[in-house]
Amino acid sequence: MFVLSIIKDTIPIHPSRFGVPPEQALINELNKKYANRVLHDVGLCVCVFDIAEAGEGKVRYGDGFLWYTVVFRMTVFRPFASEVIIAKVKSSDENGIQLSVGFFDDMFIPLIYLPQPSAFDPNERAHFWLPSSEETSTHALLDSPLSDRMYIDQGEIVRVRVEKDEFYDDEPGPPKATEGVQVKREARRPPYSITCSIAEQGLGPLAWWKAAEVETMDEG
Amino acid sequence: MQVIKPRASLLSNYEVLDLLRELESDYLLKSKTAVRVKKEDEAAGVTAQRNYDPLEDISENLRTMEVEAIQYLSADYQPTRMQTPQGIAQLVKSITPYGLTKPEKLQIVNLAPTEAVELYVIVEELEDRLGETMQEVLDAVQASLTQPVSASAPQDAGGAPGAEVVIRREEMEVEVYEEDAQWDHAANDVEFVDAGEGAGVEGDLDLDDD
Repeated sequence: MFVLSIIKDTIPIHPSRFGVPPEQALINELNKKYANRVLHDVGLCVCVFDIAEAGEGKVRYGDGFLWYTVVFRMTVFRPFASEVIIAKVKSSDENGIQLSVGFFDDMFIPLIYLPQPSAFDPNERAHFWLPSSEETSTHALLDSPLSDRMYIDQGEIVRVRVEKDEFYDDEPGPPKATEGVQVKREARRPPYSITCSIAEQGLGPLAWWKAAEVETMDEG
Repeated sequence: MQVIKPRASLLSNYEVLDLLRELESDYLLKSKTAVRVKKEDEAAGVTAQRNYDPLEDISENLRTMEVEAIQYLSADYQPTRMQTPQGIAQLVKSITPYGLTKPEKLQIVNLAPTEAVELYVIVEELEDRLGETMQEVLDAVQASLTQPVSASAPQDAGGAPGAEVVIRREEMEVEVYEEDAQWDHAANDVEFVDAGEGAGVEGDLDLDDD
């Protein structure tokens, strides 16, 4: 789920940092600039892995900064398609399940990637799976005995497969109107989101597959 | 900014955890030194502001990332707490003959499947490709974990790595007192050497092309 990306950038070092060894000063600045940020089509930056190459610092006319050209390797969170990862259920609603891995929250399972047949129980605010049931309509599923239902509760640890990831470049838009005029903010799309699936044998809450039954495996 | 290679190579969860822990202990060391320097200044009656504070250089974002990622990667549902660099290197070596692809090997290292169901998810068409050797892969995984999952005292498995970390931190504290007021040299010593513990694993998982 983590990859190394090689990035090249020009970084200014403030004169007050000249006492720090240049390598450390550069890593600090790079972490300040990139850590916990999403790079378009690259992924979510975690931290600098190491510096591959750095030129001589140059002072430009106009400021006292030392400008370095650096090539460095960044640890990036970017699970590849079809990778299996472990995540936690953050919340559930009619549209699917929101997941989280702690440092990254924009992961979700849409309805089509839930094991079938399954339905959303509005009382429990959770989806449940009815294994070995022939019913398909939501009404029939909600009439099923509670003991047969396998709930995916909030906070549960689930094994999921990454189906696809999507980047969305949210343009800042035209300059903001002057004070007095309130610009209406529409809901922002996350810059990086991951769609996951649990509609497969072996995926879903870890507890489901702890005591692996041979019969269920044969079905798949 | 220019992205030269978005995916130069893959990293295992254990390597990332190791890197983050190193950053974390480095941070703890710095913050301790900073507090001590401040106290010494007060005792000596120095009122002039020091022009450089090492803690200023640690961004909030990096701290958030460190804390949350360490929490996730070392949670009790992750196998990282039972893994060792030697164990992982050994595991990668022992599953080479089965003709698995690099992403599959990476996931075996990350998820450490000890049951057949878990392996089914990771390896496509498992039965056709591995057949009878499936159990050997599972055994290799089991052997790479320091504390077998089926051990009678699973709660001990969590205690060991934690204790290790504490010891490492204590060592660092001792170091601090030896090198008086030379905190920046200590920081200089921390370098992310490529030929480190995880190097064997990483090299093996290098992507040749995109």
